This record gives sequence, C-alpha cells and structure tokens, in this order.
Amino acid sequence: MKNSRSFAAKVLPRLLYIVLAIALWQALIMIFKVKEFVVPSPIAVFKSLFSGELIAENTWGVHIRTTLTEIAVSFFLTAVVGFLLALVICWSRILRGILMPVIAVLNSLPKIALAPLFLIWLGYGFTANVTIAIICAFFPIVLNTTVGLDSVDEDLLDLVRYLNASKLQVFLKIRIPNSLPYVFSGLKVSATMAVVGVIVGEFVASSQGLGFLIKDSQAMMNTPPMFAALFLISGIGLGLFAFIGFLERALMPWNIERTEGKA
Amino acid sequence: MKKPSSPRLSSLWARLKTPAVIVVLLVIWELCVRIFKVKEYILPSPIVALEHLFLPQPDANYSWIVHIRITLMELAVSFVVTSILGIAIAIGLAWNATVKKIVMPAFVFLNSLPIVAIAPLLVLWFGYGLKTNILIAFLVSFFPIVINTTVGLSEIDDDLLDLVKYLNGTKLQIFLKLRIPNSLPYIFTGLKISSTMCVVGAIVGEFVASDRGLGYIIINSQYTMDSPPIFAGLMLVSLFGVALFGIVSALERLCMPWQFRGRNSD
Repeated sequence: MKNSRSFAAKVLPRLLYIVLAIALWQALIMIFKVKEFVVPSPIAVFKSLFSGELIAENTWGVHIRTTLTEIAVSFFLTAVVGFLLALVICWSRILRGILMPVIAVLNSLPKIALAPLFLIWLGYGFTANVTIAIICAFFPIVLNTTVGLDSVDEDLLDLVRYLNASKLQVFLKIRIPNSLPYVFSGLKVSATMAVVGVIVGEFVASSQGLGFLIKDSQAMMNTPPMFAALFLISGIGLGLFAFIGFLERALMPWNIERTEGKA
Repeated sequence: MKKPSSPRLSSLWARLKTPAVIVVLLVIWELCVRIFKVKEYILPSPIVALEHLFLPQPDANYSWIVHIRITLMELAVSFVVTSILGIAIAIGLAWNATVKKIVMPAFVFLNSLPIVAIAPLLVLWFGYGLKTNILIAFLVSFFPIVINTTVGLSEIDDDLLDLVKYLNGTKLQIFLKLRIPNSLPYIFTGLKISSTMCVVGAIVGEFVASDRGLGYIIINSQYTMDSPPIFAGLMLVSLFGVALFGIVSALERLCMPWQFRGRNSD
C-alpha cells in the first residue's frame, strides 16, 4: 500500500504544521499580552465560534450555510457552463473566431470591480453574490479547457482521420480525455476565484454570509469572529480543492503520478 | 490551424485584434442601449460614461484626477514592492534548501487561500487609506510571483548543473549565469498574474477601506445608483490593468529577446 503511506506522509506533516502554528500563536498572545481587538487568541476564536450567540444578526449556521451555498452554486454553474462553452468553441470554428477574442479581453479585466454593478442590477443577496462569483471564476475554466481540447498530438488526429473517425468520436475519445488535466487545473484556479468572488460580493452586497460577518465585525472591532470566519473561508476553499483533487484522481487514474509531481 | 495569408498581415492582425475586439464590443453596447432604450441607471451607454469622465459634471462632488492619481499610486507602489520583494525572497529560498523546505509549503498553502478576505482585518489594524490599500494589493499579488520565481530558479537541467559544478562554478556563478536567466520566463508569468491580482487587491481595498480612489468612486456611486461614473471607473480600472500587463510584457521582450525571436506577437 504505497499509496496510503504516501498519503499519510503528506497529510501528517501538514497537520503538525497547523497544530504547531496554533500553539505558537496562543503562546505569543499570552507572552506579549496582545490586546484582543488587535489579534485574538485561538481560544477566543474558538469560543466565538461555539458560543451560540448571534453574530451579525444571525447564527454561525446561517452565515456558513449562505456562503457554502453561494460557493457551491456558483462553482458548479461555472464548471458546467465553462466546460460546455469550451466544447462549443472547439467544435465550431466560426464561434471560436467570434468568442475567443472577446473571452480573452474579458479575462484580462479585473472583474471583481463589477461587484457594485451587480448589486444595482440584481439587488442585495444570493443572486448578486452568485453572479459576481461566476463572473470571477468563469474565464479560467473556459480558457484552460479550450487549450486542453486544442493541444492534441497532430499525428494522432491524422491517424484517426485516416481511420474515418467522426468529429464526435474525435471529441469523445481524444480531445476530451486529453483536455482533462487542463480542465482540472482550470477548475482549481476557478475554485479560488469563486470563493474570492463570493466573499467580496458579501462585502459589498449582502446581509448574510461569512464575508458580511467579517465586514460587520470589523465595524464593531470584534476580532475573534473575523478570525473564525477567515478560517472557515479558508477551510471551505481547501475543501473545494480537495473535492477537485478527488474528482481528478477518480476521472484520470492514469495521471496521478504526473499531477502529484506537479503539486 | 489556418494558414496566414502573409506573415506581415497576420502579425498586424495579431497586434490589432484586442483593440478591434474592444471597439466592436463598445459599439455593440452603445447600439444596444440606444435601440432598446435602456435606462441610464441600469446601463449607461459608453458615450455617456466617457462624458462623465471628460466633461465637468456640475453635480459631481469628486474630481477624477485625484482618484485616478490615488489608484495609480497604489498600483505602482504595491506592484513594484511585490515584484522586488517577491523575487528577492524567491532567490533567498532557492539559495537555501532548508529554508525553502520549511517556507515553500506555507507559501503554496497561503496562495490557495482567498487572501482578499482579510482586507477588513487590515483596515482594523492600519486604518482607512492609502497605506492599507497598498498592503492589501501587495498581499494579494505577492504569492504568485514568489512561487513562480522559486519554481523557475529550481527547475534547472541537472546535466547542465553537473557540468558547471565539474567546472568549479561557484554557487553565485550558478545563480547569475544559470538559475536566474533560466527563471526569467517563470518570473514574467508570475509578474503577469501578480499584475492582475494587484489591480484586484487595490480595488477591493478601496471598496472596503478607502474614501478615495476609483474603487471608492465605484462603490460610492452604487449607493446613489449613479451608473455612469461606475462605468467610467470600470473603464479606467480595466485600462490600468491592461497597461500594467502591457508594461510587464514589454519588459519580458526586453529581458529575454531570444524567447520572441522569429515568433509573432501573441
């Protein structure tokens, strides 16, 4: 079981890292008597998470659920629509000619700056946040998938053409499997972007969610919930990463060695 | 792959493609607004937005120049600091394998986090204003450049390394002649990512922590549902982002002309 051992060897040092960092943090706070409104101790952060008090007018459960739903919906939509759009772009030369330059231009813009605009268009809350996150996360997955679908060995294509393969067969058997590594690296970029989009959306356009909680606690100078929310957001981001990694291993078992090497 | 009709023509097209697309998009936008008579607070036409920028607005309580200067300053300072500090730290990491082993996993971990979320915390610590925004932009754009440069410095052909070691090359020589030139493509990839992130950081910083800058104009105009300045601000922010990206690309050509020899601009 070389696999499970290497898994443990990868995870254990990381866990140790985290435990050590938390212990160091608590120690530093206690030694230097840092004031709580500057940096709270890890214990205070835990307490604020489990105290059961209302925070930013809601329970932690509501905030967490809001943010989680927004991230899940936006990431799922981004992944599915982005992948399909990339397929369409690769399928049709005309659509590629029209869409690719537009996508390249839009990709280079700081889309997060659009957040206040969606607030005007869609109002406060869920829809606006999901839309902001989608706009932020959409382009990396489209561009990566398109590159992956394109970068196919020319000789292989010639061979298959010679064997009278249909365009559909070329897509199903060659282009799509070939694009998977690119799709997954695109998904990883998009995952971070989706989280950023949701959180910034909640900063400017929400009355619920972890981003709103951070903003609200900032106004109150209440740092423990801010830290707790930051950890939760990081945890959600890492969870999404792990989920993509799991899918990657499930869908491309042949590629594990290579991706492990890259990461 | 379609065959270009002539190399000069295709190179010209490659250079003009992006501006052409932008112009076409702007024209479509203007036409849509006029044809469907979209209300100005929902979607102003690009001409109206540009008018807000160039013609003095009697009811505006802000002057564009002040806000433009603030945002430009934030971008310039944070990007220069990120680049220099990022590359310097990466060289330090590549120099000392032990430090690299300890620090790199932490950097990779931090890079995967949505760093922009700590913006409100930085406001709490450092107050409103320019310095906080520069710090946010710096933090958001810092990790891509460090990680890319470190990877570039480490990815050296082992045979080449052996050869130089055999020739008694010192560590400094290996860095100056081998590792640093080899890392340039990675550095510029990192700088390009960082340049985009920098703009994102500065704008989000201004959303949560400023009373000046284009991000502030955007968010403040949102409160009053005054769309034209929002769009004017967005255009400027986009322009700054593209300009920063362009500067990095130009530097790239300057620093490694061999990468572009015999290749069309892309």
